[in-house]
Amino acid sequence: MSESLEKLQNRILSDAKHKSDETVKDAQAKSQQILEDAKQRAQRESQEIIAKANVEAESIRRSILSSKVRVNRLRILDEKNRIVQDIIHGVEDRLSSISKSEQFEETAQRLVTEAVKAVDSDHPVVRIGFRDVSKRNLDGISRVFPKGGKLVIDEKPIDGLGGVVATDHEGKVVFNNTFKSRLERLDNQLLTLISSTVFGG
Amino acid sequence: MSGIDAVKKIVETEAQARRIVDEASAKAQQMISETREQAERIRQEAIARAQQRREEILREAKEKAEAEARQSDKETEQILDTYGKLSEERKAAAVSKAVELILNA
Repeated sequence: MSESLEKLQNRILSDAKHKSDETVKDAQAKSQQILEDAKQRAQRESQEIIAKANVEAESIRRSILSSKVRVNRLRILDEKNRIVQDIIHGVEDRLSSISKSEQFEETAQRLVTEAVKAVDSDHPVVRIGFRDVSKRNLDGISRVFPKGGKLVIDEKPIDGLGGVVATDHEGKVVFNNTFKSRLERLDNQLLTLISSTVFGG
Repeated sequence: MSGIDAVKKIVETEAQARRIVDEASAKAQQMISETREQAERIRQEAIARAQQRREEILREAKEKAEAEARQSDKETEQILDTYGKLSEERKAAAVSKAVELILNA
């Protein structure tokens, strides 16, 4: 009786010890898993933070650089434009004072000839006006002027810079051959020429 | 030993067994609880390191971009300087060519 009781007691205690060991063992395994999960989660979250930071850094870089590059491109364009405009003003000065040059008579004749040809009329009306030009300076024009035509001499330069405007006798066809019109018509070529001369390429 | 004594012994032993199991259970809960705290610390420390690295990445990017922007300014100044010199040297030629174009085109 006593021996079997002792066995029963030992059995009860042994079962409890076994259950206790299992409980602790399970807890250790669960703890290990919790730590592993936490490390993986931490690594994943860290990688996400770094990846986002890299994207954000590229965005900051682009933002700083693109605005700077834009500003500097504008400065360069403004300077090129200023230089080109300065040269065009020089061109306008030269054209408006062409009457003082040796080229004047030939130029005036060419402008008249082109304008008369453009309106294609037997009785063209040609208005001519340059700075500091009188009738005397325009004697050469009569050589290229058609007999049925009418020549009107303005005392002031037409369109500011001077030139020629031809119409047919009814005034329906008009050809503006002033320097200002020629500058406008040749605008693209002019800008290309000035640009390539000054900046090359 | 009487039957009553034997029952008493068994009851005592079972109580002892319950204590053993209860103690193990409490120890296990304590272990898991401490592990959870440790896991949260590990996570927080890792995130703090990542945040610190993030700040470094952003600061480095900003400094690098600002250095590149200064370089862009420097290059622009050089270009503007070159344009100024070219304009001075070639203005007369450009005016003459342009006048010829307007007169003869």
